[in-house]
Amino acid sequence: MNVIESTALGKRYRRTWALRDCTLDIPGGHIVALVGPNGAGKTTLLTMAVGLTKPTEGGVTVLGGIPAGSPDALEGIAFVAQDAPLYRNLPVADMLRVARSLNRCWDQRRADDRLERLAIPSRQKVGELSGGQKAQLALTIALARRPGLLVLDEPLAALDPVARDDFMASVVEAAREDDISVVLSSHVLAELERVATYLIVLTRGQVQVAGSVKDLLASHGAGLEEIALRHLRAGVGATTGTDTQR
Amino acid sequence: MTTGATSTTASPPATAARRPVPWTSIGWVTLRQRRGAMIGVSALLGLIALYLVIMAIIENHAYTAVTACHPAAAVKCQQLAQAFSATYWGGSSSALRSGGAQTVSSLMFVVPVLLGAFVGAPLISRELETGTFRFAWTQGAGRTRWAVSTLVLPALLLTAVTGAFTALFWWYFRPFLADGQVSEFLPLAFGLLGVAFAAWTLFAFALAAFTGTLFRRTVPAMAVTLIVYIVLAIGTATTIRPHYAAPVTESGWNHGAGAGWVISSWVKAPDGHQLSQAAVSSLPIPASVQNSQSPDAFNNWLTSHGYTMWQSVQPDSRFWQFQLTEGGWLLIVSALLIGGAVWLIRRRGA
Repeated sequence: MNVIESTALGKRYRRTWALRDCTLDIPGGHIVALVGPNGAGKTTLLTMAVGLTKPTEGGVTVLGGIPAGSPDALEGIAFVAQDAPLYRNLPVADMLRVARSLNRCWDQRRADDRLERLAIPSRQKVGELSGGQKAQLALTIALARRPGLLVLDEPLAALDPVARDDFMASVVEAAREDDISVVLSSHVLAELERVATYLIVLTRGQVQVAGSVKDLLASHGAGLEEIALRHLRAGVGATTGTDTQR
Repeated sequence: MTTGATSTTASPPATAARRPVPWTSIGWVTLRQRRGAMIGVSALLGLIALYLVIMAIIENHAYTAVTACHPAAAVKCQQLAQAFSATYWGGSSSALRSGGAQTVSSLMFVVPVLLGAFVGAPLISRELETGTFRFAWTQGAGRTRWAVSTLVLPALLLTAVTGAFTALFWWYFRPFLADGQVSEFLPLAFGLLGVAFAAWTLFAFALAAFTGTLFRRTVPAMAVTLIVYIVLAIGTATTIRPHYAAPVTESGWNHGAGAGWVISSWVKAPDGHQLSQAAVSSLPIPASVQNSQSPDAFNNWLTSHGYTMWQSVQPDSRFWQFQLTEGGWLLIVSALLIGGAVWLIRRRGA
C-alpha cells in the first residue's frame, strides 16, 4: 500500500509554482525521509497530502487510494506541522482534551503514559513548555490518534541536538510499536540518516531520487548523505536556467 | 465525558460506515477556546448591568413620586415631571453620574460592536495568525464541522445573552417611555429595546468573524468591523428604518405620549398648497408665540390663521413590526456572513 501517491501534482501560489508535475509513490511501512533544500516544495507536497491545501493541478491520494482531505484521510493521518502549532494558552491536559474531542479515535492511556515518561506536567501551559517538550507533546497527540500514517514537517528544525535525538528516538519507537508509516521532511539529512528506511530527494518541486535506503546504499556504494548531496547538486544543475516563475 | 476509564483504544475506521465526530465534542473545544472571551463579555455586561440596575432603581423610585402627584395638571406636579425629565433623561453635564439616560443610551450604541468585534474577529484570524489552523483543520472532525462549531456556537451564545440583557434596558427605559417624553422609536431607545440590541450584536459578530477570516488578521478585522458597523447603524436609523412601512399621514401637531415616530412635517396654506421651509420661516409669527414655553403655541397660531400642520408618522403600534423587520434582515445578513466565513475556510489553502 502506498501511503502517499501523487500524479502530476502541482501547486501554484499566485504566479509561482511551489511544486510542479510531481509524480511520486511513497510506500507504507517505512520511515520516509523527504529531503530537499528550502523552497524545494516539501511543505507544499505534505500540506496537500494531509488535505490542508488543494492542488492546482494533478491529484494526490493517501493510505491506499483515499482522496487527500476526505474524512477518511483526515482520520487516518496525523500531521505535525513545522514548529508544532498547538494552543499556547491551554494547559497540557486541556490541549489533550481538545485533540481528543476533535477525533473519534483516541488513546488517552497512551498519551498519559508518554507524557509521564517525558515528565511533562499536565497542568503546565503549552506556551511555557520548552521547544523539545512542545515537539514531544505534538508527537504524543499525533500518536494518541492511532494514525495509519504520521506526517512530520521539519520536526527537527527548531530543536537543539539533544532534543533532536530524543525526538527521533520517539518516532522510531512509535513506528516500531504501532506499526505505522512515517513521512518526515527535513533540509538536513544528518539526523535522519540513522533512522530513515526510505529516501526521497526533492529539488525545485521535482523528485531527484526515490528509493529504499537499503537499495540506494547497495547501488551507489556511498553514504546516504553523499547520495542525497549528489542528487541535490544534480537536481539544482539540471533545473538551473529553467524559469520556475512561469 | 470523563477521563481514564472511558477512554479506550478505538480501532481505526474500517469499512464500516464512518460516524462523524459528535457536535457535543467539537462544541466543548469551541467553549474551552472561548473561555477568555466569555469572561470578557460577562465582565463588560456585568459592569453595565450593575450600573443600569442601580440607576433604574433610583429612576423608578423618583418616577413613583411623579406619578403619585395629584392632580397631574397642577403646576407643582408639572414642575416635578419636568425636573424628573431634566435630571434623569439628560441634558445636565454630569449626566452619567446622575443617570442621564440620554447620555447612557448614546454610549450603549457602541456596546454591540465592541462585543461583536471582541468575540468575532479573533475566532478564525488568530488560528491563521498563529498557525494553529494546521492543527485544527487536520483532525478527524474535519475543518467544516470545526468551522461551523467555532462560528455558530459563540454566535448563539452572544445573541442569547444580549437578548436577555434587553430586559434590563426595558426596565431602565420604563419611566421615560411611560412619561411620554421618549418614544420607543427614538433611535437611542430603538437600538436597545426589542430584538435590535441582540440583532446588532449578532451582526457585528458575524461581520468581525467574516472579515477576520478574509483578512487573516485580527486587528484590521476589528477596525473594519467598527467602521462598517457605525456607518450602517447610523445609516439604518436615519434612512433605512423609516421605510420599513409606509408612514401614516395625518393633520395636526401630535407629539408626546402615543404620537408615534414623526418622520417629517410640513405646513399647508389655507388654499391647500404646501409651504416651503423659507415660506414657513417668513410667516408673521409674533414673538410671544415663538418664545412660548408651550409646544402647542406654534400649531395653535397656525390653526387660528387658517394654516394646517401635516406630518407623516410611524405609529407606536408598529414598534414590534419594525423591530422584527430590522432583526430579520440583520439575521439574514449575519447568516450570510457566517456562511461566507465557512465557505472561505473550506476553500482556503494553507
